[in-house]
Amino acid sequence: MTRLCALLALLLAFVLPVQAERLISTLSNDTIEITSSFDGERMTFFGNIAPAAGSEKRYVEGPFHVIVVILGPTQDRVARRMTHNFGVWLNTEQVTFSKFPSYFHVLSSDRLREITDVTTLTSNFILPESHAMVPNQAGWWETMVFGREIIRLMTEEGLFGVQENGVNFLSDTFYSAQLTLPANAPPGPYIAQTYVFKDGEIIARKSEGFAVRKIGFERFLAQSATQYPLLYGLACVVLALFTGWLGGMIFRR
Amino acid sequence: MQVYLPIAELSVNLFFLVGIGGAVGFLSGLFGVGGGFLLTPLLIFSGVPTSVAVASVTGQVVAASTSGALSHYRRGGVDLHLAMYLVLSGILGAFGGVAAFSILRQIGQLDLVIALGFLILLGFVGIVMLQEAVRAILKQRQGIVVRERMPHQHSWIHGLPWRVRFKKSRLYISVLPVLAIGLFIGFVGSLLGIGGGFIMVPALVYLLRVPGNVVIGTSLAQVVAMMAATTVLHAVQSQSVDILLAFCLMVGGTAGAQFGAAAGKHLRGEQLRGLLALLVLAVAIRFGLSLVLTPGDVFSMAVTGPGR
Repeated sequence: MTRLCALLALLLAFVLPVQAERLISTLSNDTIEITSSFDGERMTFFGNIAPAAGSEKRYVEGPFHVIVVILGPTQDRVARRMTHNFGVWLNTEQVTFSKFPSYFHVLSSDRLREITDVTTLTSNFILPESHAMVPNQAGWWETMVFGREIIRLMTEEGLFGVQENGVNFLSDTFYSAQLTLPANAPPGPYIAQTYVFKDGEIIARKSEGFAVRKIGFERFLAQSATQYPLLYGLACVVLALFTGWLGGMIFRR
Repeated sequence: MQVYLPIAELSVNLFFLVGIGGAVGFLSGLFGVGGGFLLTPLLIFSGVPTSVAVASVTGQVVAASTSGALSHYRRGGVDLHLAMYLVLSGILGAFGGVAAFSILRQIGQLDLVIALGFLILLGFVGIVMLQEAVRAILKQRQGIVVRERMPHQHSWIHGLPWRVRFKKSRLYISVLPVLAIGLFIGFVGSLLGIGGGFIMVPALVYLLRVPGNVVIGTSLAQVVAMMAATTVLHAVQSQSVDILLAFCLMVGGTAGAQFGAAAGKHLRGEQLRGLLALLVLAVAIRFGLSLVLTPGDVFSMAVTGPGR
């Protein structure tokens, strides 16, 4: 709790008075640890919309809308399409999306189309589709077709999503949003961007980072697999030989 | 109980993993094969990425073959001289197989080549085995005594140069077919994640005329050494060996294999081979269908490039 207070105080000190309102926000955990029994984790984003520092006003006037965008580490991802050739289904066409988010979730307090217009949503990368619409050497038509499909595939895996009732207002200015990070959430740095809307305009925004990382034994295994691949491979072989030998010993009559 | 696989980056039920390891181990003990050709497809069909499935099963095959190889070695059923030639050429083939694996994964055709490879290989072996088993069963019904093949029958293979004497197998043959068999099995085994015992044994028996008492042991010793090398190669090249996944499969597999071997004593050789042939064909057909039938989703995605 003291850490949380200190964090809040720190956040307060750094907020710049750009507008009449400002956003004070934080999240429930700044690291999500992947352990051997990792099965997804729930986290909470919450905050308050308050008058800007130095402002004359003592209170803010709504109604406000809040959108929280959670963005996972980026990777190069390729979408492929199978076609029917010579009686066999083959991957023939593909489009690579470089720096594509591996995780993307949008939580909002209302329907996105009620909150603001599509231009604001796309230019701020709030809509999932906006990530696939960046210029691509494959050409605009392919980018559009494959982009739509890659977002569908990501959504089916639970890595992309939009929850239009994900943010709840507990009072006129205090909100909280809950997100269940799935078990297949890729490890790496995450960013949570919070936008406050009033009359369709962004009046305040803030981003916070958190990390999803493997810890303990899983971290050790994953690291040794990439950093000492030869030793890791040899260890696998020794383990296999030992298990096989032991199995033979135990069951030999 | 869920367990998180650090390389596959997904969480799977522990009992499911040990269970399929045990089931495949049972079958492998029953039929005297490594079981890789069943385990790799099972993992692929249950959602493990193809590359991780192939690389991790390689480790499992080492464990599954070790106890068998050791017990054959104690009984003197391993021709180490012959195994050495097979292993050396096998490792050479594995280099090629692992390199091909990486390239195919990059260009997005790995799944296709693996499906095709399983279809052709298992389809061919399955049909040959089924034919042979049915013929043997029919002959036995008619009361004809099946004559063992003559060990000194000669074919064109025995006319090749660079002859070497293999004392334990009582063979004096050219090393060329031996090296070719090793090379082929090394390549195919590392590409498909199978030990290749079910190709090796017929090849040794029918092509080289290796006597029955050393065939299984030599084949098992070769599988252990070659798959151990392949595991290291996969770990270095594609970094997709999941040690936790492999271990769960090993535990189930080694236990299951012992029960399978005990159960196998109650069945006759031809019946066993007939059943194995049907199993092999079933896997081949499953892969064939996945190529021919309209897929549920023509789109797929994969992570490429640096990092994960």
